[in-house]
Amino acid sequence: MSAKLRHRAPAIEVPPALPADEAARIAYEADQGLTSHAFTPGEHPIVRIEHLNKSFDETLVLKDVNLNVWPGEVVVVLGPSGSGKSTMLRCINLLERPSAGHILIEDEEITNKSTAEVNRLRRDVGMVFQQFNLFPHLTAKENVMIGQTKVLRRSREEAEAEALKQLAAVGLADRADFKPAQLSGGQQQRVAIARAVAMHPNVLLFDEPTSALDPELVRGVLDVMRDLAENSGMTMIVVTHEMGFARDVADRVVFMEEGVVVEQGRPEKVFDHPENARTAEFLGSIK
Amino acid sequence: MQHRRGALLVALALALSGVFATVVPQPAQALTTEKATARPNEDGGDGVIGGMDTRLTWEGTVEPGEEVTSVTLTLPEGSTFEGSTTRITALEGLKRMDVTGEAVPSGSSITVSFDQAIPEGSLLRLEITNMQFPSAGGECTVTGTYEAAGATHELAPSDPISTIANTPLQSMVNWLDEQPWVEAWNSNQFLGMFLKPQLLLTSFASLAPGWLLCLGIVVAAYPFAIAIGLVFAMLKISRWRVVRAVAVTYINVLRGTPLFLQIYIMFFGLPMLNINIDNNLLGIIVVAINSSAYLAEIFRAGIQSIPQGQYEAASSLGMNYVQTMLTVILPQTVRRVIPTVTSDFITAFKDTSLLSSVGVMELMMFSKNLTTVTGNITPYVAAGIFYLIVTLPLIKVVSVIEENIARSERGAGPRPKRRAQIADNADELVGQAAKKDGVAAEVSAVAAPTASLAPASAKEVATDVC
Repeated sequence: MSAKLRHRAPAIEVPPALPADEAARIAYEADQGLTSHAFTPGEHPIVRIEHLNKSFDETLVLKDVNLNVWPGEVVVVLGPSGSGKSTMLRCINLLERPSAGHILIEDEEITNKSTAEVNRLRRDVGMVFQQFNLFPHLTAKENVMIGQTKVLRRSREEAEAEALKQLAAVGLADRADFKPAQLSGGQQQRVAIARAVAMHPNVLLFDEPTSALDPELVRGVLDVMRDLAENSGMTMIVVTHEMGFARDVADRVVFMEEGVVVEQGRPEKVFDHPENARTAEFLGSIK
Repeated sequence: MQHRRGALLVALALALSGVFATVVPQPAQALTTEKATARPNEDGGDGVIGGMDTRLTWEGTVEPGEEVTSVTLTLPEGSTFEGSTTRITALEGLKRMDVTGEAVPSGSSITVSFDQAIPEGSLLRLEITNMQFPSAGGECTVTGTYEAAGATHELAPSDPISTIANTPLQSMVNWLDEQPWVEAWNSNQFLGMFLKPQLLLTSFASLAPGWLLCLGIVVAAYPFAIAIGLVFAMLKISRWRVVRAVAVTYINVLRGTPLFLQIYIMFFGLPMLNINIDNNLLGIIVVAINSSAYLAEIFRAGIQSIPQGQYEAASSLGMNYVQTMLTVILPQTVRRVIPTVTSDFITAFKDTSLLSSVGVMELMMFSKNLTTVTGNITPYVAAGIFYLIVTLPLIKVVSVIEENIARSERGAGPRPKRRAQIADNADELVGQAAKKDGVAAEVSAVAAPTASLAPASAKEVATDVC
């Protein structure tokens, strides 16, 4: 209801979303050299963010963000705390309703959808949270099964086989019957990844997946993500502070500050020759 | 119920005996049976208990022109006159005659021979003390014979005497009665008034139906209370203001007024509207409605205690509101609210005592009646013990569950056994997956069961576990 109200009286006027073909053509031109991911002329971006604005009460946390993500691309979003990177991610699966602007997934506008349609769209956008958010009353296996059985209506057997396969893929086959509380943080996060992957989403969003972990547990989770990026061909948008991961795995690094995309480009470009002073300062302070 | 049926039986028996008395022609008798009674020997009651000393009083009239020299009274098998003493009284008009004689007990009979014959027209009364009726209880008719003018004649049977079976409980009470320590105990004013052993025992027996009714009421009411409470909890967190207002009103009015008042309104109000509901059923309804308001608050707090991240995780999988509630939020809520709900159950169980004020035959009602009859507080103490039998274990259950929840949230719950089957199966599935998806060898190294983990991954898992 509140979302509707905001739409009725948008604080910010933005132009309508571009037609799909035109947008694809512009994106093709614009993204040349910004990513090491290979995309072809005529291909459409899987996620298109146009003029995205988001305000909490009076505070504008996203200011006219524009971003394209190509199928199979791994985009890492960097930036200081409060730069709006998590909010942008949460807008992509509508955990936050944008205040203005457009988000298109496979050329389908998602910002004006009803609740039922939003639920349908979310099946195709997986999310891994900073705090894991596993269901504590279910075992690891059941956590991975529940979305498949309830949302995708897969049979129990099918869902169980898929769950065991995904748990094995994150190295937790022998923890299938453990409750989240009996797993370490790193193991919980890997279960959460398995849960998201088991839905076979088109896009997988990672919201600071290692920030809540003890340093020695970070590597296991990053290994799993690296494996996904390199071997599954999954489209991934990762908000993180892990510079090593960004440099090694990302096709494109996006640097955000104060709700604005300040700089984006191939990791080696952004890390080694940042154009923007703030980017340089941030990366310098992080190193 | 029991009492009513008993009364019915007695009435029937009386009616039948009346019929027989008129139908069966009475032979000419020299000694006419007038009546036979027994002295009540029930503690705090007016029943005649078998297998326990009592006094049998038998009266008969010697007809004109006759003299009676001896009387034999016979009771049903199992009665005993062993150790009894007999007092013989003969009344002739207003004159009392001193009669001596000899009483010889023999099994369930006793023969009383008079030293001088009982003259005509007099009323013969035999009072036999310390005799016992059969322990099995039942209707006991006094029969027998008498001797008049050297010949033996049958006595007309008396009206039956109702006797109560001597239960194990009754024998224990009898036994207690004879114990010196019980006497000493009861001689203490406090102990005798609050904890009289005999009365404690009989209280347990007679309060049990009330206790069961209390349990019945609260057990029947609670599922409804939970269902209604859940509905109002959901309404209270609804996004529509009007719906929330309805829920808030319901919950606050019921929580803000005493249950006692609610009972009065329902029990006296509904009959005024010509709505007549069985007392016990109405009791269940009142308790259910009252508890539902408290449960609604408990559930509401439980639901709202589930972190926002759980809703977000469910949403990110594409679950709708109903699926999220049923499979993610409510199962976790149930776990969290079990201790509080159990506490509320304890309160509801105790609160059934208020129903005694409107005539529901529950525990308090029974103990109040028994205390009125005996003038002793012990039945109230017995009622207290009955309440504690239910509440103490539940209080223990609450603390055990709380302990378990706290432990499992610390992650110290029991570990499932490793099942080799799963690892094998997973291995096989991963093999298939690797083939199908063309996953690099590195993946299978991570994915393979622990035994064949690649060194790097093995190290990672090892650190991960701790």
